[in-house]
Amino acid sequence: MTDLAAPLPTARPAGPSALKIGAWLAAGLAILPLLAIVWLALTRPSATAMPLSLILRYGLTTAALGSLTAVAVTVLGTSAAWLVVMYRFPGRSLFSWALALPLAAPAFALAYGYADLLDVAGPIRTALRASFGSDFWPMEIRSLPGAAFVLSMAFYPYVYLTARSAFISQSVCALEASRTLGSTPWETFTRVALPLARPAIIAGTALALMEVFADYGAVSFLGVQTLTTGVVRAWSVYGAPGSAARLSLLLLAVAAVLLWLERSGRQGQSFGANSARWRPLEPEPLQGWAAWGASLFCLSLISFGLLIPAGWLAYRGLSAAPEADRLIQAAITSFGLAGTGALVTVALAAVIAFGAPQNHRIKRLASLGYATPGAVMAVGLLAPASLIWHGAGSGGSQTVALALGLLVLAYAARLMASALGPIEAGLARVTPSMDRAARTLGETETGALRRVHVPIAKGALWTAALLVFVDVLKELPATLILRPFNFDTLAVLADRYASDERLAQAAWPTLLIVLTASLPIIILSRKIMQSRPGE
Amino acid sequence: MTTALTLDHVRKLYGAKAAVDGVSLTLEAGKITCLLGPSGCGKSTLLRLIAGLEPLDGGTVTTDHILSGPRFHAPPEQRDIGFVFQDYALFPHMSVEDNVAFGLKRLNPAERQQRALKQLQRVHLADRAKAFPQALSGGEQQRIALARALAREPALVLLDEPFSGLDAHLKAGVRDATLEALREAGTAALIVTHDAEEALMMADHLALMDQGKILQTGSPENCYQHPVSLAAARLLGPVNAVDVTIKGEMVTSGLGRLNAAGLADGQAVALIRPEAIKVNVEQTGGLSAVVRSSRFAGADRWITLQVEGHEGLELQAKMPSALCPSVGRQVSIDLDPNACTFVPA
Repeated sequence: MTDLAAPLPTARPAGPSALKIGAWLAAGLAILPLLAIVWLALTRPSATAMPLSLILRYGLTTAALGSLTAVAVTVLGTSAAWLVVMYRFPGRSLFSWALALPLAAPAFALAYGYADLLDVAGPIRTALRASFGSDFWPMEIRSLPGAAFVLSMAFYPYVYLTARSAFISQSVCALEASRTLGSTPWETFTRVALPLARPAIIAGTALALMEVFADYGAVSFLGVQTLTTGVVRAWSVYGAPGSAARLSLLLLAVAAVLLWLERSGRQGQSFGANSARWRPLEPEPLQGWAAWGASLFCLSLISFGLLIPAGWLAYRGLSAAPEADRLIQAAITSFGLAGTGALVTVALAAVIAFGAPQNHRIKRLASLGYATPGAVMAVGLLAPASLIWHGAGSGGSQTVALALGLLVLAYAARLMASALGPIEAGLARVTPSMDRAARTLGETETGALRRVHVPIAKGALWTAALLVFVDVLKELPATLILRPFNFDTLAVLADRYASDERLAQAAWPTLLIVLTASLPIIILSRKIMQSRPGE
Repeated sequence: MTTALTLDHVRKLYGAKAAVDGVSLTLEAGKITCLLGPSGCGKSTLLRLIAGLEPLDGGTVTTDHILSGPRFHAPPEQRDIGFVFQDYALFPHMSVEDNVAFGLKRLNPAERQQRALKQLQRVHLADRAKAFPQALSGGEQQRIALARALAREPALVLLDEPFSGLDAHLKAGVRDATLEALREAGTAALIVTHDAEEALMMADHLALMDQGKILQTGSPENCYQHPVSLAAARLLGPVNAVDVTIKGEMVTSGLGRLNAAGLADGQAVALIRPEAIKVNVEQTGGLSAVVRSSRFAGADRWITLQVEGHEGLELQAKMPSALCPSVGRQVSIDLDPNACTFVPA
């Protein structure tokens, strides 16, 4: 025997480990607000109920907005991905990551920019009137189609990213086989590449739609009444948590359908990657007008999705001095919340990833939170929140801390699944036998975690933290509902300025968000671009 | 002889199916035991049960104290058992040296490094101490995995298909290096493999396993020459199985009269290794046969012989290519009586 031998083994019945229990608790945290919603909806009859006709109108508007956006993001995202993967044209390597950049801007940033730019008194229509004597601008931005345009430009990157990775994971063999069987490039795209990528495209569209239905800032500014604005109104205008909860139930049903779509889409992705002999695609050079057309298409997506609205906001913001005190205070609040949110969310997601790597039920619970709009999440946490406020009076520092805790919980419940994705991908590098090797080399379960899993997944943990950080920074409705009184984040401050029609002031916090989020988004999208199937 | 580990009626169920079904086995200190069986026979599961990576459903695993038993499970980190994984499972974020030193955390840094270097020298890879696993060849990775498992000086080391990931031309070299390192460490070793030649060449003791059960244990020679069943015989290589009748301790069949001392009258199966069939091109006595087909296999040829006067009785034999008779040739064959085993039908 050896000097390294442990003392005599102690008897220990094999049971669920502490980590596994932790994983269930973390997933439970994610669905706690959803259970609260069901309970609220069933037990709180509202005295000042929202009229049914109003709810019906919210529903129809939401459905129309969703349909228009779904078509637009699918077409735009898929075309951009196909161009970037299959062809060589000026600026292609820049576009391949820059096309994801609009993710840095919250949708309300685009709404502010376009609403101001295309306003009757805005520069474009003024110029049109001056030149032609009449204002024949075809589209009112403060309308349903206007909102669909804004949200499509904000959310097409979700489809672009999933479609791109699906196209890249397709082996050139399948496409070459199609060509040798007599198909033209276009037929190859429609008969082989597109069907192979369809599950991924559906998954991307489902993700974009989750964001559309969760959006509050853009649609409320553009005056489009959706179910989500309805939830916020039921709470703030009607003061009826029961009504808010019942509207939330509708949104939850939609979320469940989207989640199912996204999940079945992701499962289908495997048939792109399981080809044993994967060979990278060799992009085909485009010539002449086709090459410039492709560049122009990608450039205009990035311009409409980020450069034009953000640029106009910057121009407007510079025309007015910011209210520096409020802005700085809000920035500190935002960064603090985003940092705390990222820390807590990644910790909870890591517990799930480490503690229940094979348990799909836990992950499904966690992803239910992701599909849930922030406003709904907040309503679900209102019951405990109001207990705190009533219990402790208002304004005490303890109350504020508790309320902030609830807010962080709402972020964690909503974003746990998006942190789980990269962490799991990182942990895929830890094979089951590495874990077993650590155990047979004398490490306990937690020791193996500390010395093997965490160091290997370190990059992935940072990636997850960045993702959550950006999302919290952009978050509006949950913060609006759950924040303690007079506690403004950058997004809340922007919303307050904008609803007072002080757009030059609103531009400042909005641009701070865009600039701060840009760096992580650039890092993340460049990182995604470098990854290849099997890595 | 010192016993390093004892398995007593070990059982492991997956659902209703027993992956390991009442296995009893003794591993001796300083000896190499090979566990040979087809894929899916439960041999890798058995390794994981011994290492404590999975709880068992029945039986006991004991060293000088009990490791696994009814309602009892010592965790793997407390077992003093090393494990070399089929995919080597080197930690990609650590250098070779840190990988080998992974299990030595109870030592101080200087001792740790010294011990790791000693292990690396043992597998002749001291010069790669600072490299990362990704930069090593498959054979080198295998040796690092072995050094890592041996660094804690465990009483027993388990090796799961240690050479299956290697190219054929590398196997022999890595196998010799592994044997040398194991002998030098003086630890008991249990090597799981599905390669009969590998098992026969490496083992002090051989255990044959199929469908969750141990078929036979013993020295490689004994298992090869005296298989207890057709299944056990086939695990170790090609074998001719001929139905025979035994009467008065003698075999009467197409094989001529053979001694079957100690066997009861009745039906039996004669197991004859191909090399036990001596083919005589000059026809003198013995059994007469015709060469039906002949396949080239390097130094040797495989030939199929039709025994004359016995419709349907064909034997596979193996003989040097240079001496091989042509197809259609009539030959006489002799059987080496020591290389024939009779098992119940």
